[in-house]
Amino acid sequence: MIYNAAKIKEKMQEGMVAFANNKYIKSISDGMIFMMTPIIVGSIFMLFANLPIATYKNFIDVHGITFILKVPVTFTINIMAVLSVFFIAYNVADQFEKDGGMAGLLALISFFIVTPMGEIKNNNHIFNYISFDWLGPKGLFVAIIIGMVTARIYVFFVQKGLVIKMPEGVPPAVSKSFTGLVPGFVTTSLALLIFIIFKYTPFGSLNQMIYNCIQIPLEGLSASYGALLIVNLAIGVLWFFGLHGTIIVFNGIMAPVYLAMDMENLAAYEAGTVLPNILGYQFFRCYVFMSGTGMTIGLMLVMAFFAKSSQYKTLGRLALPMSIFNINEPLIFGTPIVLNPFMLIPFLLTPLVTSSIAYIVTAIGIVPRLNGIQIPWPTPMILSGLMEGSWKIAVLQVILALISFSIYYFPFKALDRRAWEQEKKNSVDNA
Amino acid sequence: MKKITLVCAAGMSTSLLVSKMKAAAQKMNVEVEIRATAESNFAEFENNTDIILLGPQIGYTLKRMKEKYEPRGMKVAVINSLDYGVMNGAKVLKEALEM
Repeated sequence: MIYNAAKIKEKMQEGMVAFANNKYIKSISDGMIFMMTPIIVGSIFMLFANLPIATYKNFIDVHGITFILKVPVTFTINIMAVLSVFFIAYNVADQFEKDGGMAGLLALISFFIVTPMGEIKNNNHIFNYISFDWLGPKGLFVAIIIGMVTARIYVFFVQKGLVIKMPEGVPPAVSKSFTGLVPGFVTTSLALLIFIIFKYTPFGSLNQMIYNCIQIPLEGLSASYGALLIVNLAIGVLWFFGLHGTIIVFNGIMAPVYLAMDMENLAAYEAGTVLPNILGYQFFRCYVFMSGTGMTIGLMLVMAFFAKSSQYKTLGRLALPMSIFNINEPLIFGTPIVLNPFMLIPFLLTPLVTSSIAYIVTAIGIVPRLNGIQIPWPTPMILSGLMEGSWKIAVLQVILALISFSIYYFPFKALDRRAWEQEKKNSVDNA
Repeated sequence: MKKITLVCAAGMSTSLLVSKMKAAAQKMNVEVEIRATAESNFAEFENNTDIILLGPQIGYTLKRMKEKYEPRGMKVAVINSLDYGVMNGAKVLKEALEM
């Protein structure tokens, strides 16, 4: 059985190599990692603008501080599509080992060209403007598509040598700016063409079309309970075979959709209206990846405080401080969970159970929906719950940790017993 | 002096292993520079590394990393997953130096 599992692992690794190394998937995943910095910065300002303490809130409202605190939110979260288009194009070009900065710049131009402009007439002046509507979360998928396509066109032209070449001896900075000219002219013209064509469609713009036909359906699918179970299982199975399921499934595929959903919640939270989504990026962080993939907090606790074998006692104590910061590689590879039949069921079951409970109690309103504030992923449980908007979330996290404990307890004790007997036998043999 | 770069998804879990390896290096009295980084950040060290050790959870990148960096004279390997799990710094260091 172990032999077969090792074989399956090898096969899966081969498949995953192709998938995880796919240049476009990797560009989205890396682009999103870059994006977390501005989003977290914006989120922290948002947090201070909305601390649920009445006297504080009153004070900052009256003195106009709320407004000031929201300025950085506007220029981080509400322009996340603009930032994404640059970073995704940058990463695509980078994957092909071409100049990322130039690709990012061209993609940014294309993005602005296709985005509809508005016009205000005031007395005899005409002001043009771009609504923040398309620059923030609603424009995220346009940004991903434009970023990838523009960068790919740029890479194509550079690879084929369809660029203006400068003679030797011209400083690299100068020749670099000429390299971008031909592809830049092509991508800009294409964007203009798309802008004109979509003006005459019922959508009015590419942005509206992509939002209606891609982003909304994708969010609809990802928001379902079924999606929650499938994503959880896929991540768990990959980790069971020793592959970083969180990066492959979550960051590579689901992150843009779930991030957009969190941002919708955040916008509603800021406006004081009903939060639209139960699921989202932070839902996974708070209820599924808490203490690490597989909600291994229960395993860590049983191991650190109830293990008989010295092997597991040591490992449990080694894993404890890291678990607090949601890192659990020592448990995954040290127990090991990877390819260990004792651990398969609890490892897959725990996140399914905890996320289902979290989904249900959120759906019926016992625990509020997460406000979607983005916090750094090593933020410890309870603190993360409080930052997501309520002490009830933190309490739910503690309950889920206890559930994790109860699921891991017996399978681990069986494993521990085996290790303990082995240790006893070894010490007798050595004596 | 050999320069070893440990690469994992975020550079977090490997950083604990790095400190264990550094302690082991001091005990073994070998001069070696060891650091951890995220996979997406490795480019920062690509001109300054002799040995690349991959965390087992991103072992699937081995082929790509080998193709890219072996021609440049670097050695690439995946860390044994059990050693990684129990953070056996001495053993990982010894095996790296024997590569």
